[in-house]
Amino acid sequence: MSEQDRFRELIEAYALGALDASEQAALEAHLAEGCPGCAKGLEEARYLVSQLAYLAPPAEPSEMLKARLLREVRADLGPAKITEMKASTGTIPLWLWAGVAAMLLLSVYSTWDARKMQREVQDVNARAAAELKERKKLEQELSVAKHEARILTDPASKKIEIMPNDKEMPKLEAMWHPELGIYITGQKMPMPKGNKVLQLWLIPKTPGAKPMPSHTFWPDANGKIAEMVANPPEVMAQTKALAITEEPPGGSPQPSSTPLWVGGVS
Amino acid sequence: MISKYGDDASFDAKLVDRFIRRDVTAFEQLYDRHSRIVYSLVVRILQQAPTAEEVVQDVFLHLWRNAGQYQSDRGPFVPWLLTLARNRALDHLRLKSERQRRREDQTEDIPAIAQAPEYEKALDLQRRAERVRSLMATLSAQQKKAIEMAYFEGLSHSEIANALQEPLGTVKSWIRNGLLRLKEGFQTAS
Repeated sequence: MSEQDRFRELIEAYALGALDASEQAALEAHLAEGCPGCAKGLEEARYLVSQLAYLAPPAEPSEMLKARLLREVRADLGPAKITEMKASTGTIPLWLWAGVAAMLLLSVYSTWDARKMQREVQDVNARAAAELKERKKLEQELSVAKHEARILTDPASKKIEIMPNDKEMPKLEAMWHPELGIYITGQKMPMPKGNKVLQLWLIPKTPGAKPMPSHTFWPDANGKIAEMVANPPEVMAQTKALAITEEPPGGSPQPSSTPLWVGGVS
Repeated sequence: MISKYGDDASFDAKLVDRFIRRDVTAFEQLYDRHSRIVYSLVVRILQQAPTAEEVVQDVFLHLWRNAGQYQSDRGPFVPWLLTLARNRALDHLRLKSERQRRREDQTEDIPAIAQAPEYEKALDLQRRAERVRSLMATLSAQQKKAIEMAYFEGLSHSEIANALQEPLGTVKSWIRNGLLRLKEGFQTAS
């Protein structure tokens, strides 16, 4: 195999970002030499790789995101830029602008005002709907936060330390209130490998009884876990321990791996 | 998920041309056309809706504030935008790793991407997603898994081999053969 062929075989993985450092450096050096075949192959591979985005499950951003974004964008324009844009029209003779303006006024004035009003009404309605949606979301978040605070502060809650099998891993903590549910917290948690999720299990006291499946969750981008289990599948008095395993996306009906964290309830 | 405008690259090019000249309406239209696929991708990578919204906002603000970075002669707009969004999301995912720092260096200068083949032009978002998924379904489970780990989790050959407990050469073959098969599938679809 020629050196050219060897580099050509790396192109797709390079576009995917999957090459290890040494191969990446070698290929980049080759590309820097101006190999036209590899450059063309790389453009095609980048297009191919970009299409993998369409494998992502469909999801909808909130209306508030658009509202926030447009607010920032309009703020960016600012009075200075608007003045600058107006100044750039100075290269066109004033009489021509006056003529165009007069023609436009004659031809579109009758409909312009109505359309403007219509747009403004639509705009106000859209903003009101977005604000209402955001308010409902905040109310929900506040309700959840109050619920969590009650679990954390109520004397009836029991604290459970959920210890890792691997000493390098952080420990988790659960507060279990007999009526309000379980609130699990943790810091510096690594993201599960291979697209897996973390799943909570309740291990019943009854000998031979199967673990009861509960929530699936992930740490956030900062490795923080704050998971509320409002309706645990078993009561505290009947539960021997809490366990956490890594499971495929969506969770499993029964654990498919050894628990990575376990905490005794009583 | 159907874009009301379809996926007409020339329409995008006109919008891009307008928003480069600071036309907010054109920028808003581009957002309406492509925010869903960008958000879907970022949420898939980060698995957290609030963080994903932050990153998507960051992507579109970057687009607005650095409009001149995109050059239409270096490839179509949407793949460029998706590359930017993926890089930003993976940067967010692995802020402290060396691989991430290398990628950050590349983020501000998205490389050239080939022009979309002729058959691409009329595909709307839903049809495009269906086609990519059906092509992926023709791959073996291992090929699919390895490609998804690389694309959505930003893992290298070695990291994937380690995670799957498979030989490095095997993982390389899965990814290369899988991508070549996808490429053939796209070409056959034309």
